Amino acid sequence: HGGRAVSLCARRLWAVAATRGLPAARVRWDSSSSRAVIAPSAVAGKRTPEPAVRWQEDPDVEDENLYEKNPDSHGYDRDPVVDLWNMRVVFFFGFSVVLVLGSTFIAYLPDYRCMGCGPPHVYPRASASRMQEWARREAERLVKYREANGLPIMESNCFDPSKIQLPEDED
Amino acid sequence: MLKIIIPTTMLIPLTWLSKSNMIWINSTTHSLLISLISLSYLNQFSDNSLNFSLLFFSDPLSAPLLALTTWLLPLMLTASQNHLSKETIARKKLYITMLTLLQLFLIMTFTATELIMFYILFEATLAPTLIIITRWGNQTERLNAGLYFLFYTLVGSLPLLIALLYIQNTTGSLNFLIAQYWVKPISTTWSNIFLWLACMMAFMVKMPLYGLHLWLPKAHVEAPIAGSMVLAAVLLKLGGYGMMRITVLLNPLTGQMAYPFLMLSLWGMIMTSSICLRQTDLKSLIAYSSVSHMALVIVAVLIQTPWSYMGATALMIAHGLTSSMLFCLANSNYERVHSRTMILARGLQTLLPLMAAWWLLASLANLALPPTINLLGELFVMMASFSWSNTTIALMGTNIIITALYSLYMLITTLRGKQTDHVKNIKPSFTRENALMALHLLPLLLLSLNPKIVLGPIH
Repeated sequence: HGGRAVSLCARRLWAVAATRGLPAARVRWDSSSSRAVIAPSAVAGKRTPEPAVRWQEDPDVEDENLYEKNPDSHGYDRDPVVDLWNMRVVFFFGFSVVLVLGSTFIAYLPDYRCMGCGPPHVYPRASASRMQEWARREAERLVKYREANGLPIMESNCFDPSKIQLPEDED
Repeated sequence: MLKIIIPTTMLIPLTWLSKSNMIWINSTTHSLLISLISLSYLNQFSDNSLNFSLLFFSDPLSAPLLALTTWLLPLMLTASQNHLSKETIARKKLYITMLTLLQLFLIMTFTATELIMFYILFEATLAPTLIIITRWGNQTERLNAGLYFLFYTLVGSLPLLIALLYIQNTTGSLNFLIAQYWVKPISTTWSNIFLWLACMMAFMVKMPLYGLHLWLPKAHVEAPIAGSMVLAAVLLKLGGYGMMRITVLLNPLTGQMAYPFLMLSLWGMIMTSSICLRQTDLKSLIAYSSVSHMALVIVAVLIQTPWSYMGATALMIAHGLTSSMLFCLANSNYERVHSRTMILARGLQTLLPLMAAWWLLASLANLALPPTINLLGELFVMMASFSWSNTTIALMGTNIIITALYSLYMLITTLRGKQTDHVKNIKPSFTRENALMALHLLPLLLLSLNPKIVLGPIH
């Protein structure tokens, strides 16, 4: 009980010191309980309480709130005109030019890797990606044709056996 | 290539000669136009590579990385505008110059033909990054962070210089396009083992490999937002890109030498994901998650199968965009609360609902939600490593679970719950911040519609 009474007094003293503007140590962290103890009515009659106590949640003095001078601030600059133009420039060149035109460019990139480039053996070799989209379309077209005409979809022979000329057996 | 290099170089006079209220507008506009030009390199019609000159070439591996690099500069400029608003005009111009110089070196690194030129530019990227971290970082630890960053990378890459000079002397050329065809299998002698180590350690440090990753949390946390973005999105990928190029010269020794690094990566992937679960610092969490994702890329590059290479490339691009976006989100918190501690800024969903939507999408991309290319990369790497050794599936699966855990942990801590008292008067989200997040996310989502451009030279 003694301890609590002491601390109560200490906080009261603190509040009085703060409102009277006496030099109190500036603390970054105030416990919320100190605010609960200060009863404004106790000091209200004596003097107008100045906001001399800095709370943690007050904005930093060095922080500039761009919304204060310019409520429509986009966050780029203090000057509203420069701020507006900066926003427009970023959005136009960033989204409308690069993202949109760039995506269109990439979407329409050709399908084919160069079929006859480079020497026969290179490390590493990319073979499967040549003309992939064409190959898929051609396969679908052939399958559709063969199914429509009742032909087998695939033959097990890679090449036509009648066109292969084997050397004659020599005994 | 000059159509990208010259405009990037000219961004520097543009910045210095612009009026003081136009520097950001001018530099953002022109860097966006440069990124539009770089998209043209994605038209890779050759099986092999597009050879522009004796110095530069582009390849289905380097073209997406080039596009990522050039796309990132306008995003870095947009992200930096707020924290630089109090600086003098000369300091702002110097910052933009550092970013542009870094961009220039990175562009030339990704497209270099000669490996010595690649090495010189690889080292050159350290200088602007160091200046950005140590001059514009926010805490006193930034000096230590810069030191770690510089010396880890330098010590790793000096042996690379010696190895490259040795290869130049013995093979006669370090032109990458020629070296592909002239490469002879190297035998398992002690000198070849050291050659392999010398070649690979620079990139292992850069990736970073788990045991050599100490520089990364420091550098990422202490760097200002643009520094964090470029470190996470592009500089880490330099390591992956370099590894994919240099392993061409180092076969078949890689098959034996890779084991310790594979073990370190597989284990490190789980360790760093677990560390993420215990982080209090938001940027540190994102930094460790970068280590975890890059460990997957190391595993993929060292296994050297076609699918793993495709997965590695996709993962690099996906991680670049996702990680950069997460750093931007963390920075938007930091600019309001001036603290990186996660629990200090809780319950932001009720205050900033649109930003919460960006947080959600970025975290979902980070935990490799289908159909993003993050999932594509992780899945390909997982399948390739399973075929390399069945046991790795247990580790990969554990990593995926822990990745989901810490991504959701990050989401829940920053967004859900009751707000702390002191965040009640934070400023609403600016258009700038929302545009920044959209510019990160939209390419990622668009790539999930057409992933074949980021699947690399094997596809």
